[in-house]
Amino acid sequence: MLKKLYCEFLRFGCFTFGGGWSIVAQMNELYVKQEKILTNEELLDITSIGRSLPGTMIGNIAMLFGYRMRGFFGGVACVFGMITAPMIVLILITTFYSMFQDNVWVASAMKGVRAAVAPVILSALMAMLHSAFKFPPCYLVALLMFGLYFFAGVSCVWLVIFGAILGLVICEYYEKKVKRDD
Amino acid sequence: MTELITLLELFWSFVKIGFTSFGGLSMIPLISSEMISHGFMTASEVADIVAIAEMTPGPLGLNCATFAGMRAGGILGAIVANLGALSPTLTVAFIAAIFFEHAKNNKHLVQIMTGVRPACVGMVAGVILEMSRENYVDVPTLAIGIVDLILLLYVKMSIPKVLLLSAILGIIFFAVMGF
Repeated sequence: MLKKLYCEFLRFGCFTFGGGWSIVAQMNELYVKQEKILTNEELLDITSIGRSLPGTMIGNIAMLFGYRMRGFFGGVACVFGMITAPMIVLILITTFYSMFQDNVWVASAMKGVRAAVAPVILSALMAMLHSAFKFPPCYLVALLMFGLYFFAGVSCVWLVIFGAILGLVICEYYEKKVKRDD
Repeated sequence: MTELITLLELFWSFVKIGFTSFGGLSMIPLISSEMISHGFMTASEVADIVAIAEMTPGPLGLNCATFAGMRAGGILGAIVANLGALSPTLTVAFIAAIFFEHAKNNKHLVQIMTGVRPACVGMVAGVILEMSRENYVDVPTLAIGIVDLILLLYVKMSIPKVLLLSAILGIIFFAVMGF
């Protein structure tokens, strides 16, 4: 099991372009759609917690997921699996720095890959949409946080804290409403 | 002895970077000041590493750690720097994982997550737009993006295949056809 986790995250690690968000898309593909050992809701939870903790988001996501599967060592297996490929690539690049620096072929390939990152993340987001909105006001929360992030540049930590408070308020409101209606 | 001190300095620098950053480009000012003040990298190397980190797999912070670690202390330096950068993951995220697994069915945590999930969706949507603004600078990149989206959503092609195909399209458009 530890070896399986390590190998899966080794593979994810090879394709984590664009700040690592594509790891979420890959986890969605393997664990939610194929193996069905994780729900979209759980993946969203892991993502939002991992994003709001200090350090590297995908390292945190790997730890949270690995811990769920196999405790601390499961987390360690995922984290070290995830960093293996990027580390080897960077060690090679540092060693042959001058050769990579101005290579047209490398730059062109990378420009193509960068163009793929947004669609990859978007496809993961679409898959997670259904599980994100429990009550109608949740749509407003998403819209508000989008605005705060994109237009006001508010840090993700604050957005998650703000979302948490709104979650408490919204749920309390609906619970009281159910009681009133009874 | 001096090598050991360098390794410790490297480790400590990246512990500081790890704990005070929340990923992405927000790390750059901190990485830059730590690297330059210790003499691990020059200012222009910091700019280079940001570009390299964006082009290669893996998060920026860890790629910087590998680059600076290699420069300052070879492969051992790279490993030490990575461990430093991962220290919040191995401590704080671990504690969060324990807490979360135990409190998963707690009423208030369920309520909290009801608000956090849509917040996360909003954030990710923001990230996508941010990246689109940066990456779709000309017609070929936009075309690659649209083709990828169709392949992902309708053809259900796997992510690694889509990334590889995009790399090939990039070479065809920019290196061969010279856009």
